[in-house]
Amino acid sequence: MRFLRHVLTAGAVGIFTLAGASFAQADYPERPITMIVAFSPGGGTDVAARSLAPFIEKYLDGSITVVNKPGAGGEVGFTAIAQAEPDGYTIGFLNTPNLITIPIERDTRYELENIAPIASVVDDPGGFHVRSESEFETLDELIAYAKEHPNAVTFGTTGIGSDDHLAALALQRAAGIELTHVPFPGASAVRAALLGGHISLGVFNMSEAVSFIEEGRVRPLGQMAEERWPVTPDVPTFREQGYDIVQGSIRGIGAPAGVPDEVLQKVASAIEQAINDPEFQQIAADQSLPLRFMGPQAYSDTLNALREGYLNLWQESPWAEQ
Amino acid sequence: MVDYLLQALPLVFAFDVMLAMVVGTAAGVAIGALPGLSTTMGIAVLIPLTFTMPPLVALGLMAGIYNGAMYGGSIPAILLRIPGTPAGIATTFDGYPMAQQGHGVQAMRIALVSSALGGIVSALTLILLAPPLASVALLFGPAEVFWLAVFGLTAISVLLAENPVKGLLSAGFGLIIGTVGIDQLTGNERFTFDVLELTSGIGILVLLTGLYAIPPAFELAAKAMLVNPTELARGMASKAEDASERFAWRSLIPTWIRASGIGVAIGIVPGTGGNIASIISWNETRRAAREPERFGKGAPEGVAASECANNADNASALIPALTLGIPGNAVAAVILGGLLVHGMQPGPALFRDTAPVTYGFMLAMLITAVLLFFIGWFGARLFIYVLQMPPLLLAPMIIAMSTIGIYAINNSMFDVWLMLFIGVIGFLMERLRMPLAPAVLAVILGPMAEAELRRSLLISRGDFSFLFSSAISLILVALTIIMVIAPLVRRLAPGKPKRGKDEHPVQVDG
Repeated sequence: MRFLRHVLTAGAVGIFTLAGASFAQADYPERPITMIVAFSPGGGTDVAARSLAPFIEKYLDGSITVVNKPGAGGEVGFTAIAQAEPDGYTIGFLNTPNLITIPIERDTRYELENIAPIASVVDDPGGFHVRSESEFETLDELIAYAKEHPNAVTFGTTGIGSDDHLAALALQRAAGIELTHVPFPGASAVRAALLGGHISLGVFNMSEAVSFIEEGRVRPLGQMAEERWPVTPDVPTFREQGYDIVQGSIRGIGAPAGVPDEVLQKVASAIEQAINDPEFQQIAADQSLPLRFMGPQAYSDTLNALREGYLNLWQESPWAEQ
Repeated sequence: MVDYLLQALPLVFAFDVMLAMVVGTAAGVAIGALPGLSTTMGIAVLIPLTFTMPPLVALGLMAGIYNGAMYGGSIPAILLRIPGTPAGIATTFDGYPMAQQGHGVQAMRIALVSSALGGIVSALTLILLAPPLASVALLFGPAEVFWLAVFGLTAISVLLAENPVKGLLSAGFGLIIGTVGIDQLTGNERFTFDVLELTSGIGILVLLTGLYAIPPAFELAAKAMLVNPTELARGMASKAEDASERFAWRSLIPTWIRASGIGVAIGIVPGTGGNIASIISWNETRRAAREPERFGKGAPEGVAASECANNADNASALIPALTLGIPGNAVAAVILGGLLVHGMQPGPALFRDTAPVTYGFMLAMLITAVLLFFIGWFGARLFIYVLQMPPLLLAPMIIAMSTIGIYAINNSMFDVWLMLFIGVIGFLMERLRMPLAPAVLAVILGPMAEAELRRSLLISRGDFSFLFSSAISLILVALTIIMVIAPLVRRLAPGKPKRGKDEHPVQVDG
């Protein structure tokens, strides 16, 4: 009798669990979704995430709580995403190149495989900038000068292993020049040093340069997008200038690996609708965010291709001390 | 500019904006007063809530929190010797002794008036001089900021208490804590012991709360069993009321002028904040005083110098932030994020495309500095009740508030454990009579000096003469040298044997 009761209980629990699971997917989301941001409140990624969240809520018909888990260049937050329950109730913002370069540089508690990319949101191309008083008018002039004066050109970036740093390394290899790297704690510090004439070249994203370009205080020498970003149509790409360098910071949303495919597709389509919402597009334009939607497959392929490139670069010339 | 100001005036005096400024200022005082909560965090948490508000309502709230919190930090600094914000450390030097001598209310009023005045001077500077001063900010490159940090570090020398060895140990402890984390310039991990959370370093708030808030909570709990402090506190409060009637405010005018100047100047320099402004101001005021030995023992000028300077830093830190998109301190950086949310691009466009709102925000900085005075003046009686609260309630409250605040910064339990661990270290340091302030200053200034020095040498490719290549650098070097050798010279100078005595390091408990 007791045995029978156990069997019945177990069976009932099993049925309810199964039913619960399938309901969870059909009616997803039934409870608030946590969105992890691996950077501090008030920073660029945080502002972008908090601006986007209400629009995803609108199209997903659920609520999203943004939680900041900053630290270790994003590693703390990425690890939290990778280690979360893959039930679709934890998603998070992913930033390249950090997401990819951190596991290359050091032992981490997450790998790219532990994260299921859902969709990309922003693709912010990198740029090479000088101040308007600078003697360099074009990228070629800069390269010619650097060839004659190795290490005389100082360039500021947002840090070791940042997209800016990797871009400059790529140019050094491609053009056969030597530049002197000066890392700063953030893009605004690089900009300050550039405007004050303390460094000769600033490498930072186009969105961080655009208002200064319009004002005539900063002269862009090139952008590292595949095609010219519509907001800065006069700035030539590196490819146009003969250097095959495409570099930038892609921000997107991912979930822990193993999340059910239906959930993945549902969130991806909500993000797509959010990005196409005219109201959000206005907000993004105000913040100079270059939007670029990629679905789960395309986003995942892009991330894997990036990793391939960074691995090659790391093997040839590691950018950080090991 | 006058046109824009006139356009902005009616916007600012709209009912909802005024209400936002009052609420913001009061909330700011509370945020500043609670150990573990910082202005940066307060504004950062607020930003997403302001999405749906009109821009000026949101910016009015932010301005209020910013000004309010800088003053709020002085309340626990004076009453409990727990600086509510990093910028309140210098306030503990004289504020806490004043409260202990029964002048708690007076110290709080001095802090309030000084904060409001500093804020007003700073806001006027922002409104009138923003564009020309922005170019001054750009002159500060890595070499100049390095010397500024070194100049700030010399202030440690006067905080060494009666035992220089203990003071230097404390400063050394701070310097080591400051090296923890991934090195900005090479990417190497230093003293991280393979702990993921340590790779971004030990946060200044974690350290400050651990050192300053946890040990007093232990002490309070211990004392509660020995004496009846409720009576004691009541006596202190009533005595203070009498004293405040007769205070000669005029004597503080020179201090206010000096402190506002220092605060405004430090604010404009990128990357330096109110914590540095208040300590330099306190030290300069002490040096200029006729009887420097009074400082650290309850000198009203000490409170005025610290509080006036840290509020004078506020609006001026926004000068490079608004005009160039370069934040002068951490709060200004978060405010930039807040502007972005409301579609305002920091930089020149701010004064062109969205000028009325920008000027409205700058006016809000001015108005909230004035509001601060009224809110603080009538609120002071409420705050003094803190002293009358039974320690058995106060001690667990301090620990609970600190825990919540620290957890909320990074949503990290690790930070909470770290804070408690540092709290134990702080408790031991107190028991060994080691001063805490040198450690905190070293954590703030040490990493700054190190990174900027290495950055300068990268730029100059190892040439040390680069450090002496600009006028600003040379001025800062000269100031640093004067600061270090002046006491020696005075002591050795013949015919002035008495002056030598003045230069004994001040006894500072914090």
